[in-house]
Amino acid sequence: MRVLIFSWEYPPRVIGKLADYVKTLAEQLGKNKVQVYVVTYHDYLTGGHDDSEGVKSIRVTNPVRTHIGVLTWVLTLNQEVERAAANVYYDVNRQVELIDVHDWHFIPAAVTLKKAFGVPFLYSVDSLEEHRSHGANSPFNMAIKSIEWLGMYEAKQLVVKSGWMGDEIVRVYKAPVEKIRVIPPDSATWVKDVLETYKSVAGGAGSQ
Amino acid sequence: MGQGCSGNLQERCWRCGFSVNRDLTVMMLSWEFPPRIIGGISPHVHYLSKSLARNDVKVYVVTCDFPGAPAHEVVDGVEVYRVDSYKNPSPDFATWVYLMNVNMQKEAAALIHDLGGAVDVIHAHDWLVATAGIGLKHVFRKPLFATMHSTEIGRRNGIHFDYERMIHETEAWLTYEAWKVICCSDYMVGHVQWAFGLPSDKLVMVPNGVNYEVYKKYDNEDFSQFRRRFALPEEKIVLFVGRLVYEKGVHVLVNALPKVLSKVNAKLVIVGNGYMKDQLSGLVKGMGIAGKVMFTGFVDDDTLRRLQRCADVSVVPSLFEPFGIVALEAMAAGSPLVVSDTGGLSEIVEHDVSGVKAYVNHPESLAWGITKVLTDDGYANWLRNNAYKRVQEKYDWDKIAQQTKTIYNNVLGEYTKSFWAQPIT
Repeated sequence: MRVLIFSWEYPPRVIGKLADYVKTLAEQLGKNKVQVYVVTYHDYLTGGHDDSEGVKSIRVTNPVRTHIGVLTWVLTLNQEVERAAANVYYDVNRQVELIDVHDWHFIPAAVTLKKAFGVPFLYSVDSLEEHRSHGANSPFNMAIKSIEWLGMYEAKQLVVKSGWMGDEIVRVYKAPVEKIRVIPPDSATWVKDVLETYKSVAGGAGSQ
Repeated sequence: MGQGCSGNLQERCWRCGFSVNRDLTVMMLSWEFPPRIIGGISPHVHYLSKSLARNDVKVYVVTCDFPGAPAHEVVDGVEVYRVDSYKNPSPDFATWVYLMNVNMQKEAAALIHDLGGAVDVIHAHDWLVATAGIGLKHVFRKPLFATMHSTEIGRRNGIHFDYERMIHETEAWLTYEAWKVICCSDYMVGHVQWAFGLPSDKLVMVPNGVNYEVYKKYDNEDFSQFRRRFALPEEKIVLFVGRLVYEKGVHVLVNALPKVLSKVNAKLVIVGNGYMKDQLSGLVKGMGIAGKVMFTGFVDDDTLRRLQRCADVSVVPSLFEPFGIVALEAMAAGSPLVVSDTGGLSEIVEHDVSGVKAYVNHPESLAWGITKVLTDDGYANWLRNNAYKRVQEKYDWDKIAQQTKTIYNNVLGEYTKSFWAQPIT
């Protein structure tokens, strides 16, 4: 199975705990014979890199250097994520089964690639704007929420790390319960559960 | 493929492997398309698309939604798709643009997928659709064209804030990603090349067009009743059409008016709206010429064309003007023309032949030109006739569509040799 993972943080760029989580996830998947491509951001360490366990990482930067906030920065970075992902897709003869997108930043890219290639995606929810902004609802927060909503709507499955988060995405976004998979990272069956979820979602040209 | 190519492409469908024969196919991205009309991009994309369709090019326009307009329709042979333009409140205009592009790109990607990839080129109009166009280019590996209708650095007369710089850099990115950058005047070619440091072989000039046929139906009409809505029978009509914003230079024309009135009895008719409207009407009152100026606001197409038809002179006093389509409209309508000698206007008008050029931001010079046209009927008719011939020769939409099609075909000829066009083995 070949999987693209999108995350806005990945070592050496560490903002919160998501970076190390994605790193561990990619390595564990690599050990289990999943071909993993991590597409992520770095300001200057751009290009492809071979990481441990056969994981390949591709770092893109933002061609628009000046921004008025994180929202415009994210929205213009997505085209570079699409470019990197499309390059992988064509290089491997369209044999990509799944995209796993972590948090809201690269959901626009995941949605476009789904529509363009028919490759499904998983939305792995680490945190929500609802909690990060403490219920603030300015146009800025609303825009991020609309992107999270788009991800909830277009994703084939929603992976959360706790039952509480599963309840929250139902409360905030009315996400259908049957789309939600609760996979705690500290569980003994964590990798096995992730793999099973991947297998149940995998599609696209590569699965035919 | 060269200039003589019919535009028919033979290729293998990437899904089924069968050879298919079909017309050259273009996807136009534009933030406005009739009935959504904000500025000049909307009519430009409309006329270009339908003229391309008449010249055997299949055109899909993906644009923003508009109240009452269908999500999909065929207009003059053009397939128009309207997408949700993000209607939540937005922090600012630029952020709205990027959010709208998320939806536009999503719908356009779904459309190209449903067409089995049968789109040959993607054509983006201005930075307002930059991110959608750039993303689609890479996802589908198709050549991207960008028409730069204006620039942030030109609109703002420099880059002063981060907000403006962000837009400027987005424009630069779009021109970088485009295979060819199309501009509507030689002035804009030079301006865009300077603004973004582009290689000269990347730029190509295709003029804007004008539909002169729409004025023909007024050929035998008596306008004496109509013009009374705007001026007394003994007053000559001086017409301005445009947004009432600083760079259009309406205030220069108002300042020129007393000099004109000292020689000729005339009425200035100002068509359009904008943030300077209150300032301008205050200026007119302060100068004591309120009775000689009429603000009409927006008018419908029919009223506008009749006004252009019966104006004794049309004036375009812009301080910054990438093209100046309103000048072409005056020429097509048969109204003598006075313009400021700047940007695209300098190329459209040949001084003393198809119009009068005045110094930029210079009320005395403008007044001299207007007075000359209004007091010399022989001269006015000479300008009128020459201007109409010029419009037919150079600014005909069919000719412009054929030029555009040739540019598409030439680029596709280069593209087929690139690794993007090679079949996957």
